[in-house]
Amino acid sequence: MGIEVSNVTVRFGGITALSEVSVSLSPGQIVAVIGANGSGKSTLFNSITGLVSVASGSIRIDDDEVIRIPPHRRIAGGLARTFQTPRFDPRITVEKAVLCGFYPVARSGFVRSLLHTPGSAREERTIRRECDGILALFKLDKLRSVPMGELPMGQVRLVEVARSVANKPKYLLLDEPAAGLTRVEQELLSAEIRNLVARGVGVLLVEHNFNLVQQLSEHVVVLDRGSILFTGAPAELAGNRAFVDAYLGTSGH
Amino acid sequence: MNSYSLFTWRHPALSLLMIVSVGTAASYGHPFLLDNSIMIGIFSLMALSVGISYGQAGILSLATATFAAIGAFATAILTVNYRLSPYLGLLAAILLPTVCAYLLARCILRLSPLPLSIATFVLGGLVEVLIKQGGDFTGGYIGLSGIPRLSIAPSAQAMHFLTWAVVLLVVVLCVSLMNSSTGRAINTARHDPLRAVADGVDVPHLLSNTFAFSGAIAGVAGWLYAHHITYIGPDSLTTQVSITVLLMAVVGGVKVILGPIFGAAILMVVVLYLPAAESQGMFFGSILVFMLLVAPNGLLGSRWRLPTLRGGLERPTSPMLLMPAKEEN
Ligand SMILES: Nc1ncnc2c1ncn2[C@@H]1O[C@H](COP(=O)(O)OP(=O)(O)O)[C@@H](O)[C@H]1O
Ligand SMILES: [Mg+2]
Repeated sequence: MGIEVSNVTVRFGGITALSEVSVSLSPGQIVAVIGANGSGKSTLFNSITGLVSVASGSIRIDDDEVIRIPPHRRIAGGLARTFQTPRFDPRITVEKAVLCGFYPVARSGFVRSLLHTPGSAREERTIRRECDGILALFKLDKLRSVPMGELPMGQVRLVEVARSVANKPKYLLLDEPAAGLTRVEQELLSAEIRNLVARGVGVLLVEHNFNLVQQLSEHVVVLDRGSILFTGAPAELAGNRAFVDAYLGTSGH
Repeated sequence: MNSYSLFTWRHPALSLLMIVSVGTAASYGHPFLLDNSIMIGIFSLMALSVGISYGQAGILSLATATFAAIGAFATAILTVNYRLSPYLGLLAAILLPTVCAYLLARCILRLSPLPLSIATFVLGGLVEVLIKQGGDFTGGYIGLSGIPRLSIAPSAQAMHFLTWAVVLLVVVLCVSLMNSSTGRAINTARHDPLRAVADGVDVPHLLSNTFAFSGAIAGVAGWLYAHHITYIGPDSLTTQVSITVLLMAVVGGVKVILGPIFGAAILMVVVLYLPAAESQGMFFGSILVFMLLVAPNGLLGSRWRLPTLRGGLERPTSPMLLMPAKEEN
């Protein structure tokens, strides 16, 4: 069980964005990925979700090799992610953005949606009800009909997280979800992440705020220019010389 | 609410039903008006096809009339050459364009939308050549005449009802589709295919299905066209017509479900009263420029602001828009 990334290498032309990286994530666990900008954190997410192709290595999700499986099927299989730079249509409302996240759990398909069969109508009602629940959970219910383009960045990120949890994923990959959040929003987000984890969801988290990392995760992976510099408990990191140089050294001043 | 979008009430089909009722009362018993109303209905269907493929899915097609022509020739060949039932013709007029559109999109969508647009343009030319070279089978340059009228709609009045019933049905289908997870995914794929992938959408498959559906709508328009005019030839439903219906859809508002119908009605009525047929091209050209400048989202898609009592123009908010317009600013 879990996500097992083994010896994955990703190249973009001449750049090696990831080299021989291995990470594992179990259900109900939070693994934090940290590292300076350009160290390959987002590329790691992209290779797990299938948005970039890997040069070598293996990625197993619940013991199935997924390297050859297209991204939409990986998502449908219980994976969800957010983007570091949120991708959203600024004209759609908060509610519609979250509704979009339900796509993998919708079973109706094209023809039944077109014909508005009783089954698809029922499904649409269920989805809308569950969407209300998620909006309430993230305290977004008052903003439901606000266009995404009018939200501050912090709330956009919350909506993105809400959209990603809509399909009840087994594994959730959050790419810098707390950047730009207010203190209150950050607490809301960590509480929600803890809830998900308590329900058995495995969370892979890219986060720059080391305090948040220490609060949330028992396991940290440090990437440096595409390679793994350190894996272990966050507490061990503070005294690790290489980490201080590579990570706090670049963004700690 | 100090802004509104015309006729986009809770269910667009209801607003359309009301307008159609008024149109029916006004045209009752007038052969000239009925004929125009039927043609507006048929062009509305082709414009709705554009609305689904271009407005909702972002696939710019120059083959809308070609799919209609495939539908029209399918029913013409079955009913004229083989004396088969027009209702068998309807089946062929739906299936053939659906399959053509699906295969075309499936083969080309893994590239990007532009190659698909070019391919639809090529398809239009190819179908025209096939029709002209088809000999007795397609009627060649002369076309096929003597297509039977429909037994369920033998008179112009009945044809008017049938055509608009079909338009209403298509509107109902489009509204159901766009208010489902599938419809939302279509909109996401139009705006940002990668985002759609991250939502778990098989983008080429979904867009091919959408394009196939838009092909089916055009095919039904072709079926009605063939049995209304009772003639179909190589010059009936050409790429020129595809461009005209594209313009109609854009003028009315491609992203709003009723927009294309509105555009079709307006342009056809205006053309009716245009002094000379030769000025049509110039007229359409100026309409296009005007629309791009004044209301790039189309007549129904734009947020027309009314001055408030306080005198100012407030920031428009339009919750009544069925399909919120996107980007471009
Ligand atoms: N699609 C891409 N094409 C080319 N180079 C890329 C692409 N995505 C990432 N890279 C490169 O890969 C390296 C790692 O980037 P990224 O994974 O985004 O780092 P991080 O998320 O840790 O900031 C960077 O050098 C970046 O320029
Ligand atoms: Mg990144």
